[in-house]
Parts: sequence; C-alpha cells; structure tokens
Amino acid sequence: MNKPYWGLWALLLAALCFFAVLSFWPEGFKIGGVEIKTASFAQDVEAEPKSEKPAKTDSLDEHGRLPNGRHPKGWRAPMDTTAKTILFIGDSMLEGLAPRLAAYCDKSGHRLIEVIWYSSSTLCWGQTARLTELKKTYHPDYIMVCLGANELYVPDIKKARRPYLKKMLAEIGDIPYVWIGPPNWDEDTGINDLLSQEVDEGCFYLSANDKFDRSRDGAHPTRASAHKWMDRVIKWMNTSCAYPIRLNTPSETISRAARIVIYQPPV
Amino acid sequence: MMLLNAIDFNQLLSLFTFNRDEPLLFTSGFFWVLFLVFLPIYATIKSSRVKMMTFVIAFSLFFFYKSSGWFFLLLVATSFIDWWVAQFIDSSKNRLERRIALTVSLVLSLSVLLFFKYSNFVMSNLESLVGGNFQPLDLILPVGISFYTFRTISYVVDVYKGKIQPSDDYIDYLFFLSYFPCLVAGPIVRARDFMPQLQENKPATREMIYGGLWLVMLGILKKAVFADYIAQYNNIAFGNPTGYTGFELLMAVLGYTMQIYCDFSGYSDMAIGLSSIMGFNLGINFDYPYRSLNVTEFWRRWHITLSFWLRDYVYIPLGGNRKGQVRQHFNLMVTMLLGGLWHGAAWTFVVWGAGHGIALCVHKLCKPWLDRIESTRFTRSVSWLMTFGLVAFLWIFFRASSFHVAGQVISRIFTDFEWAYLPVFLEKRWTWCLMLAIIFALHFVPRRIWDLLRDKFISSPWAVKLVIFIVLIQLVLQFASATVQPFLYSQF
Repeated sequence: MNKPYWGLWALLLAALCFFAVLSFWPEGFKIGGVEIKTASFAQDVEAEPKSEKPAKTDSLDEHGRLPNGRHPKGWRAPMDTTAKTILFIGDSMLEGLAPRLAAYCDKSGHRLIEVIWYSSSTLCWGQTARLTELKKTYHPDYIMVCLGANELYVPDIKKARRPYLKKMLAEIGDIPYVWIGPPNWDEDTGINDLLSQEVDEGCFYLSANDKFDRSRDGAHPTRASAHKWMDRVIKWMNTSCAYPIRLNTPSETISRAARIVIYQPPV
Repeated sequence: MMLLNAIDFNQLLSLFTFNRDEPLLFTSGFFWVLFLVFLPIYATIKSSRVKMMTFVIAFSLFFFYKSSGWFFLLLVATSFIDWWVAQFIDSSKNRLERRIALTVSLVLSLSVLLFFKYSNFVMSNLESLVGGNFQPLDLILPVGISFYTFRTISYVVDVYKGKIQPSDDYIDYLFFLSYFPCLVAGPIVRARDFMPQLQENKPATREMIYGGLWLVMLGILKKAVFADYIAQYNNIAFGNPTGYTGFELLMAVLGYTMQIYCDFSGYSDMAIGLSSIMGFNLGINFDYPYRSLNVTEFWRRWHITLSFWLRDYVYIPLGGNRKGQVRQHFNLMVTMLLGGLWHGAAWTFVVWGAGHGIALCVHKLCKPWLDRIESTRFTRSVSWLMTFGLVAFLWIFFRASSFHVAGQVISRIFTDFEWAYLPVFLEKRWTWCLMLAIIFALHFVPRRIWDLLRDKFISSPWAVKLVIFIVLIQLVLQFASATVQPFLYSQF
C-alpha cells in the first residue's frame, strides 16, 4: 500500500474514531451556545434489541402491558364510563378538532382542557417539560394528543424525533391516552411510521388515509372537515381504541372547552 | 465480552442484507465504514490487475445488492449479453448479422429499462385513455438502471460503429459496467474513456488520492449539507402550494433550482472523487451550469455526460443538423423529450424536456441575430438573467408532483406576490436564506480559485486535512437534524 493511501486511510479512521468517541460522551457539548450534534454510534449500540418472539399474554401488568411496556395487539381496556378530565394537547389542528370534542365532552360529562401550541412538534414538546407541568396543573385522567403536522417533511425523522417522542410518552406515563396522527396533505418522510412504532397498540389513530376538505392554506382541514375528522376519531375510540371512554353523540355541533391554553409558536 | 453481548447480531446481519428503505449511498455512514475496510485491501492489491478487478467487482455487486437486492443479477446478465453481442458484432463480417445483433442488444437493454421504469406510467395512461381498472405493479426500480443501461448501449453502439475495440475479457466489461462509483447516479462514463485506464491500471498518485478526497468533500457539502437542508423548505412549499404566498413560492423555486444542482452535482462529485482515489479519472459532469448565458451553453455545462450521450446516441443518429433546419429542430425536440422522460416516468418531466427543447430551437433560430449583438456587461447580464430565469421556471415542472401543483405554484407567483413577506421570511428562515446565498455565491467563484484551493488542500499537512474533514462531517451532523420552519406564524 503506497503512502498516500495509508494517509487517507488513517485520516478516515481517525475521523471515524473521533466521532465514535464523541457519540459516547455522556454529556452534550455546546460551543458558543450552539449544541454540537454527535453521530448515532452510541444510540445504535445501545439500542434495545428487538424481540421477535411474541410475548405471553399471561405476563400482562395491571395496566394490561407486556414486559416490553406495550399492550398486546387487539388489547382493550373495559369501557370506562366515569367522568374524565381530558387534556387535549397539540398544534394548530386543535383549532378544528377541539370544539367538536368539547361538544362530545359536554354531552358525556367530561371536562376538557385544550392546549394549543402553535407550530409545535414532538421536538418542541419533548425538549420541554410543558406536558409534565400541564399534568401537575390539571391532573388529567385521559390525554389526547394531535401532533405531527409540522413534521411531515423532517429528514431522517425516525432518528431525529424518536427520543423526543419517547420522552413525551414517558411523560404521559400510565394515563390512558390517544394520539391522533397528522392529516397528511402530502406524503410524509416517516412521522406516521414513527408514531405507529412508538405509540402503544390501540392508542394511535392514523389520519393520513382520511379524506379532508382543506382550508385556504391547503394544510388545515376546514372547520366542517375537522369536525368530521373528530367524529371518525370518536367512532374509532368507541370501537377499536385501547382505552374506550364514554363519548355520547352530542346534539350540538361544537362547544367550548372548560379551559383553553394557547402557547406562541416556538422561536 | 460486554461489547459482544451488546451487539445484536440480527441487527448486524441486517446491515449487510438488502433493505428497500435504506439503499447504500455515498452519504450514508455505513458506506464509509465499508470504504474503510475496502481501501486498505484495494490499495494492497491494486498493482495486481486481476486481484484488484475481482475485488472491486465483488464490492460493486455487493453495493448493488444492498441497494437493489437480487436485481444485481440483472446487471450481471446484461453485462454478459452485451459483452457477448459486442464480441459477435466485431467478429462478424456480415452487415445484416451485425445489425440484427445490435438490434437484439438494444431491444433487450431498453425493454428491461422500459419495464421497470415505465410499466406503471404506461398502464396508468392506458387506464385514463380506455378506462378499466389497472392496478399498479409493485416494482422495485433497480438503483441506477437508467445509468448502466445507457453505458452498456453506448458500448455496443461504439463497437458496432467501429469506434472502439470490444473487450476480450468479460471480467473487464463487468468491471466497467458494475463499477460502484458510477452505479447509482453516473456519470455516464464511456467505455472508450474508461477501458484504456483499466488496461493500464496506473497507480494512483498523491494528487489523485487527495484531489479525490477534496472532490468527495465538496460533494458531501453540496449533497448532505446544502441540498438536504434547503430541500426541506422546498418540499413543504411544493407539497402544499396553496398554503404559501407567491413570494414564498418564488423562494421555493429558487431553492429547488439550487437544491437540484447541489444534489446532482454533489453526488457526481462524490463518484468522481471516489474514482479518483481509486486511480480512475471520470472527467467532469457539471461545469458551473448556472453561469450559462444561453440554454445551449447550459446543456454543455449541466450533466455533461448525459447531454453528450443524448447528443451522440439520439440526436446525431436522428440526423443532427445535417438534414436542414426543420429536421434539426425536430431532432432537438425528440432528443429533449426523451431526455425529459429519462429523468422520470411522468408527463411533467416530458413538459420539462419539451420546454428545454423549444428553448434550444429558439436559441438556434435567433443565434445569427444574437451573435451580432455586442458583448457588454449589460448584454451578458440580461442573457444570464433570461437563461437562469428560464431554467428555474422549467424546474417547477421537474419538481411538481402534478400539473395541478405546477399550475398553482406558477399562478400564485404571478397573482399573489408581495415583497412584504421578505423581512418575515428572512427572519424566520435566515439559515435557509444564508445557505441559498452561499450556494449562489460559490457558483460564481472562478475556477482558478477552486483549483488553487484544491492544490492547497492536497499539499496541506495531514493534520490540517483531518481537521477540515472533521469540520465537514460535523457540519453534516449539525444540519442533518436541523429543520426549517414549516409555516410562518402570520399565516394562521
């Protein structure tokens, strides 16, 4: 092997070692306030091996979860008919969804807390403790999330957003929840795949295949279309969701949530 | 032992097996890990031609397998058939036999390409014409099939025309056709340029090796930093044009104009650079195309190996400019329409090709008049602006998923344009704007400066090269997870 080849090889190897070592560094780096991103070697090595064997259903915990923390496929909790405090969080899509959900809640005796964080994403929620704070403030016993519309085009999303999504799910903890997927107006780069992988069995409503009438911006469903969207979600909650609650069909089209909290878009 | 326990062997094995969603690309970390293993072996056996060729072929086929699965066998079969046909053409003295052999080779190569790339396109068009309920076929398009098909066609045609001698050794030809740097996205290197280098098998010089690394780095910068980052906003805007103002869409069109250049030329740079490291010169494929002062010049600078392929194997055989002006324009249109369709199986690509064909014809018609205009800074600026504007406008059809989307983009640019959005746009997407400005500025850096920088890099100490390389990869990491603001708040 001639000398320049050795030099090039050593250079590539040194760079690889540099980034590998950096990725295992326990604390992140910041230079001039800018976070220095690291390669994914550490994540790849530390990733939990995927279990291919189906887990036994007799090993379910008190919340109906397998040792891997997920519900078995098709698992459903019994219908909970008690009145709930529902925390509904998400992005601007809530503008259309929440008023319709509020009508269902009024009819069924639930209290709805609506939290719109404009232009937010799993990244915004995962980087902050906002969800934990909301839980402390409102003590919800049911959580609904509608997020993902601002992440349709994020490159390499499964790597980029998985940690933040996991953090959000950890914050939700054992509270029954439903995650409403984004109403795709174009093919996404993997947000729906990521959500269906990470969100528990029976807790994810895939909206991507639904048909919507869009408002002038071409992205948000019209109010009427958003109401029908919510109706489809409720129908799914009544028939297939892992955590069904009482949701009676209201005579009113819309109502107002007991509390509405609005956050400005992330900077 | 702990490390062994931590390794998931199934996951490790999956790295080496075909995964439709994760083709092996020069921008993937796994490719560079493989290249680290490849390089010392290659360098050690480079002087032994047979060993080197066997090793590179094995690596190339694995590279192809990783991206296209068992379709790599298709490439092996194509290479064998065309090698044999070329041998037959060369040995036969009978003109009819030679013609039949050439026709068989062309039909076979093109039918495979047509089947994989255009079956669903043809079926969907048939469906809209005659009605019915055609279901699209679940076809995997073998990666790079358009590129290696064009390379193998040029080889057989050149042998038929007596421009080159066929390769006696099948292994030589398999090496040429499967050569991994050119496999995914070109350049469409010709056998007559490549085979002599393979025969000579000269050792790679220091200039070639580090010059190659320089090109690879430029390619990574263009593709993984610039193109991938600015693509995010372009995707959002083209995905939902009604949600954006004319100004924002104009920025997306400019963004896409730069994105596609950085994407195509970046990947070409990486291929040419890798090849240079291996001791093979592939020439250049993009020569500052957006500096062009007319559309003819643009096509001499854009994707040069494809342009010249279309010229040599479509335009000239059709008659070129030898059969009068009307026929020349017809030939140009056919060539550009086919060029458009080659880029993708959709009518939007055909319109893109047609647009360029018309522009080329108009330029040819006006050339005698244009040549009389004095070349001043003003006239050159006007020429540049017109050429750039036309090229950028036609990229709308290339990028749009349908004519409906293209129409929305164009109509909003002309009917909903307000400069008032500029300050907000600059504030919210300043990184994106900065990148666009940098790409634009870099495009106009004189060639001698680039050459000087390359020579400085080659002669710089090893540690300096390492630092530059690390800084570049860090840039890739920084921007890989950076996102562009999807919506401006003012729109809510």
